[in-house]
Parts: sequence; C-alpha cells; structure tokens
Amino acid sequence: MAAKAASTPTTYSPSPTTQKTKPSFFKNDNVDWVRPDGRGFHQCRPAFFRTGAVNAAAGSAYAEFGNTKVIVSVFGPRESKKAMMYSDIGRLNCNVTFTTFATPVRGQGSDDKDFSSMLHKALEGAIMLETFPKTTVDVFALVLESGGSDLPVVISCASVALADAGIMMYDLVTSVSVSCLGKNLVIDPVLEEESYQDGSLMLSCMPSKYEVTQLTITGEWSTAKINEGMQLCLDACSKLAKIMRSCLKEAASASED
Amino acid sequence: MLGLSLGEKQFIKGGIAQDLRSDGRKRLTYRPISVETGIIPQASGSARVRMGATEVIASVKGRGGEELSTELSVALQRCLLGGKSGAGAAIDLSSLVVIEGKICWDLYIDGLVVSSDGNLLDALGAAIKAALSNTGIPRANVASGASGDGQPEVDISDEEFLQFDTSGVPVIVTLTKVGKHYIVDATAEEESQMSSAVSISVNRQGHICGLTKRGGAGLDPSIILDMISVAKHVSEQLINKLDSEIAAAEADEEES
Repeated sequence: MAAKAASTPTTYSPSPTTQKTKPSFFKNDNVDWVRPDGRGFHQCRPAFFRTGAVNAAAGSAYAEFGNTKVIVSVFGPRESKKAMMYSDIGRLNCNVTFTTFATPVRGQGSDDKDFSSMLHKALEGAIMLETFPKTTVDVFALVLESGGSDLPVVISCASVALADAGIMMYDLVTSVSVSCLGKNLVIDPVLEEESYQDGSLMLSCMPSKYEVTQLTITGEWSTAKINEGMQLCLDACSKLAKIMRSCLKEAASASED
Repeated sequence: MLGLSLGEKQFIKGGIAQDLRSDGRKRLTYRPISVETGIIPQASGSARVRMGATEVIASVKGRGGEELSTELSVALQRCLLGGKSGAGAAIDLSSLVVIEGKICWDLYIDGLVVSSDGNLLDALGAAIKAALSNTGIPRANVASGASGDGQPEVDISDEEFLQFDTSGVPVIVTLTKVGKHYIVDATAEEESQMSSAVSISVNRQGHICGLTKRGGAGLDPSIILDMISVAKHVSEQLINKLDSEIAAAEADEEES
C-alpha cells in the first residue's frame, strides 16, 4: 500500500476493500477470530425479499442479504424463437448480469456466463416444464451490488420471482453457500471472506421435497467436511424457505385487500 | 439430441438396471483409455486421450488461444484450480514462480474435442493430467544483482526444462444417473437418457477437489453422498490406469 500511495494516481479510485494479503487472524486456526460483520460462523446475514420490483415483468423479486442486492425478473411463458425446434416441454432461459458498479472495481463482476448456466441448472429441476410446452420462460437476474454469496442469493431470489410469475414449481429453490477458511466453515460468506477462502461449497435445494438441485464444491475437501457443509446448508436452506414463503404470502394477501 | 426410438431407450435403461450396458460394460467400468503424449511439438506439453469414440486433445503452453465452451471450461477450472487462496489446487502454484512476487509463468491449458461420444469432462480431465505430466517449463535463470526495484533480468534456458509434480492432479469422475442406478463413462446415447449427473474430481489422497452437479432433476442428499463414495472408489482404479498409460506413452515418445 505504501508504494501505491507514493505514486500519484491520475484518477481517483476508492481503495479496494479486498486486501492482497491475508489478515493474520485467518491464518491462525486456534485463535477465535471474528467475522468482518461480527456474525457467528454458522449465522446467516439477515435476508429480505420483496416481490413486484419490476412492473413490466410477469413476476419479479428483489432480494437483499447484507450488502448483496439483486433483482430478478421473469418473463413468459412466451412463444419460443422461430429457430427453436419443436419441444413438448417448455424451455427455461436464464441470464445473470452484473451492473458495472456492483463491485469495488468498476466492471469486474464474476463470470456472467458461468452464473447463467449455474442458475439454469439450479432451477430446471424444480420447474414443471411440461406445464408450458412450446414456450419459453426467461429469467433475468441483475446483481445491483455484489457483497459475497452472489449466486446463492440470485438463485433464491429467482425462485421467488418465478413463484410471483405463477410458473408451476415442485417447490421453492433455496440456496446457501459455505466457505472453508482453515479448519472452520463459515456460512453465507461476505466478499472479503470469499477472497481468502480455501474452498467453497454451494448447495441449492428444494427444502420441502428434500432434494438437491445443484451442488458445487471447489477446493480440497474430506468427506466428513462435505457432510458437515451440506448439513449446514440444508438447515439454512429450510430456514430461508420460511422467509421466502412468508414474503410470498404477504404479497398475496396484500393484493387481495 | 440423438434420435432414439422408444425401444432403444428402453433397451438402454433396462440394460443399466441389469448391470449390463449396450456395449457389454458393467455400470462402473470405463471404456478402454489410450493416451499419447507430446503430440503437439509447439506446446510445452500435450496429450491425446481416447475413450471409446470420444477423443480429446489437451495442450499446455506459456501463452494460449481459444477457450473451451464455457460449461466445460468452468467445470474444469473448478476441478483444477482449487480455492481462491490456492489451497487444494491441482498444481503447486509456487512451482510457477520465477521471482517471488514479481515474475511467474502463466500456464494456459487448451482443450480440443476431436470427436464426442459422451463423457467429455472425464476425458478432458485425463488429457490435461497427461499433458501436464508431459509439460516442461524452461528453467529461468535470474541475473544476479537484480534484486533492486528495477525490472529484473531473466535468462530463459532453451535446454533445461523443469517438470511439474503432477501427483496431486485429480481425475474427474462423472456419475450419470439413469433410472435408479448411476454409471461411469456414459456414451452419448446413455447421456441422452440421464436424469442427472454429478462430476466429482478426486485426487490420489481420496480428497474431493471439486464437484459440480450437471443439470437434470433434483437428488436426495444421501444419494449425493453415496455418489461421492462411489466416485472415490472408482477414482483409485482410474488414477492407477491413467498413470500406467501416461508412463507407457512417455516411454513410447522417448523411443521414437
């Protein structure tokens, strides 16, 4: 940092929140370190959902987990493009984009294509595609602010938006990730924790059906650790589903009045 | 999408349920694997892997070209690169350092699918493993006395090459679920009948280095854990088979 300060920058840029070097407390497994936002290791950020964020869409939802803020809008079912072959089941089309101001450094969001295909895989197992043959449902997710665990938030928010659009699903899809930092597993990591992580596990599931729709693991894991991580995620997913459900119920009762 | 009749579909599913697949294999048997190394003279390392009718080429080079299709390359990245901190990576990244904090080698791995008959990810994983063990990075001699702030001078040797330690490179095992059972090394026909698939990369120590579920229907958590233990078991045989194939291929290359 000292070297950076010495050279006079031509344009102003905010100091990046993610430092290059690992803070010492992450290194030492024996020390009880505190997470950047003061949460317990197994404590999620407060979640907030609201439906009807976009008027033009068939259904939409806004989600906020700490600093992570996303909007998902769902269009359709509408006619598939002419070039598409006939299909007796419906199609799902997912697209995740980051706003240019989502990250501390402008325009450096994660790989959008990767996120889009991951979102597609997480949702396709839950949607009853046979209920809208020959047509396409488009899911557009926009990450307004990237504050860590972006993809899990996008997935959960998308399933609320799909429910708001009245697309038939077997169950809501909820998603939670854990990061492995040394010996510890921390749930719902923030951006800072994600940048030091030794490994990550993201699980999407249908809590009432008790089925996993997507699971990705990076880094080196033992089976016991995978077990522990999956259990943590499954527990958190079922709690998250309650919050999502209450948001949908609120919206439904409000529209009745 | 393959044009399969109802009868053919039933035949594939029925065969898998009876542990006898359409090409005579059992559920957890791989097709014969053949490995050739050093097939691209311009690259630092390269390998061609054949598994039945699936054929892929991987090359490792200091500077790279085209990307793989996103899904495959992202899945491979997840399996090979490890966590953001570098823990659990396939290659010891510190072996790429020329001068700590200043200069390092950039490794570009390119995969090319020559012909596809299912199970591309496993084949690419195997080809990359073979290509990496075939890779020699030129030894870089740092000019002495260049420890100041200026750009240090590096002399790259044309004759001396450093080999990687590839014992930590994991293999990828994709388990494809058809009906109630899962199979390894699915052909394109079998893949068309899958309900879901999970790709798991396992290293020699039996640790999971990466896992991706590849679409399809949901799975019970206990089934995933069972798949992980099956993948661990299968990976042991696959690693041994691959290592002996790679060693044979390198011996061939030296002879010719």
